[in-house]
Amino acid sequence: MSIGDGYRAVVDLLRHLRFFVAVAETRHFGRAATDLGITQPPLSQGVQKLEGHLGVRLFDRDARGVRLTVAGGRLLGPARALVDAAEDLLDQAGRLGGPVRARVGLCGDLGGWTPVACRALAGGSGPGLVVPRVAGSDRLLAELREGALDVAVVRHPGVVDGLVGGDVVGLPTRLLGADGPLDVPLAEVDRPLVVPPRRHQPPAHDQLVDTLRRAGHDGRVLEAADPTQRAALVAAGAGVALETSPGAQASGGLPPLRVRVVLPAARERRPEVDHAGLAAALEQALRR
Amino acid sequence: MSGATVVDRLHDVARDAGVRVRLHAVRLDHDEHRARVDLDGDEPVAVASLYKLPLALAWADLVAAGDLGLRDPLPLPRTGRTPGPTGVGMLLDDVVLTARDGVRLMLAVSDNACGDALLDLVGRDRLNAHLAAAGVPRTVVRRGTGASRRRMKRELGSGVDDVDRVLADPDRDVATREYDAAYASASTAREACRVLEVLWSRRHPAHACVRDAMALQAWRHRIGSGFPHDDVVVHGKTGTLGRLRHEAAVVCFPHEHPVAVTVLTEAVRPERHLPLVDAAIGELARTAVTVLRRPVDDPP
Repeated sequence: MSIGDGYRAVVDLLRHLRFFVAVAETRHFGRAATDLGITQPPLSQGVQKLEGHLGVRLFDRDARGVRLTVAGGRLLGPARALVDAAEDLLDQAGRLGGPVRARVGLCGDLGGWTPVACRALAGGSGPGLVVPRVAGSDRLLAELREGALDVAVVRHPGVVDGLVGGDVVGLPTRLLGADGPLDVPLAEVDRPLVVPPRRHQPPAHDQLVDTLRRAGHDGRVLEAADPTQRAALVAAGAGVALETSPGAQASGGLPPLRVRVVLPAARERRPEVDHAGLAAALEQALRR
Repeated sequence: MSGATVVDRLHDVARDAGVRVRLHAVRLDHDEHRARVDLDGDEPVAVASLYKLPLALAWADLVAAGDLGLRDPLPLPRTGRTPGPTGVGMLLDDVVLTARDGVRLMLAVSDNACGDALLDLVGRDRLNAHLAAAGVPRTVVRRGTGASRRRMKRELGSGVDDVDRVLADPDRDVATREYDAAYASASTAREACRVLEVLWSRRHPAHACVRDAMALQAWRHRIGSGFPHDDVVVHGKTGTLGRLRHEAAVVCFPHEHPVAVTVLTEAVRPERHLPLVDAAIGELARTAVTVLRRPVDDPP
């Protein structure tokens, strides 16, 4: 493969060079992954791909740790120069791009709260221009760590190491069946619950399943990442959903949807963005 | 198998279980450079009841040195001793044990009454000086279980009569200074393994008493769950407080070198009963121990 293979290859090369530099600086795959805000498997695979691409081994790895090879030592300087240049380019482009837009992540579980949260940010009294992004909590947390988001609302509980989590907000929920809201206790629901995939936030998912069982439901779930797919499954009678939306009357005995506003660590924040203002506006919108 | 691969798998298990993990494992063979697996094993962590393990080592060393007696009386009057869910801590009447029986209850069922009485017997300053001299200077016992719980009550509010219930509230992210290695009794995964290495290297009956009691530990839901084999002996000591779940253990397969492993976890879920996390500790320990297993007569 050569750089001539196109934009994707160049992007991969820059990404993998960032990995190389991070591992070289920390001498530790785990710490480098933490610094990059990613997990270790993609980091290891990225470094391996780079080694294949360059045709040289960059690191010696054994039980005692990670060391730069001679070739790795020679290539570290040029790699650093490329990575720094790419970051400068993006910084400059960002400054040329007009007014600041806050990048706001909203987990795909928020249902009817999603537009409410967006309006609260973009409306007359809100902080201004925002670019919303809806995804699973796992993705949003990774993007906060990578610096690709300025703030996010994610499911709680989940691992927020390296980030700053706000207070837990419990959004009231009600059961939704094929014909609309269901006013029955969970123990009498004999169908599975339609939920986002467990991988989006494993501890929150496990907590929900435990709560279902505690209430007398059998804990079966149907996982689907796409909210429209979940709505289709409910409408088809394959399962029921725990729905949350502003203004809807909560049914008793149901667990709230627990979420929290999460910000990057103070030193990782973009100075031109009002992070505290964004967080306050989001929390206020969700507590209505 | 490369070191990076094992650590990748440990990360995967930890992410799936929703825990932050620090782990260290070392094969207890005769090599000068013992084979190890490490995941952030030098980060200090609040250890909860795991403090009873270095306390047991110091007690045994002091007995071996003649400073304390194996059968010194350990009075545990019903008023004044630390209550707890197990052992003498859950009894109603006055008890007097020998020190070594107190050590056995402290290790086998994490008896809080015995733990605090033995901490008084050894003395906190003498204990910490001993640990520093024994090569585990970052293993610090700041207070026993009774004092730790009194501090949490003051910290969480005077009206709090059930600290555990407050810490387990799923609607809040409650923290306590007792989760903080800078304020609580603390150690690192590597140093907890070092304590086990020393315990397994000594030949005095006091150290044998400690090792035996650890094999009799009442719970097998953590590291023990990773080794569900009737012929494998797990000598373990757990530590639990709120979101903290720990265990340090020596895993003994027949005809193989023992392997010491310490798994220190902090869960993001606050509930008191998280069998998935306990099982993940077994999985983490098994993953680390498996790459270190070696028959005793295997040439290096």
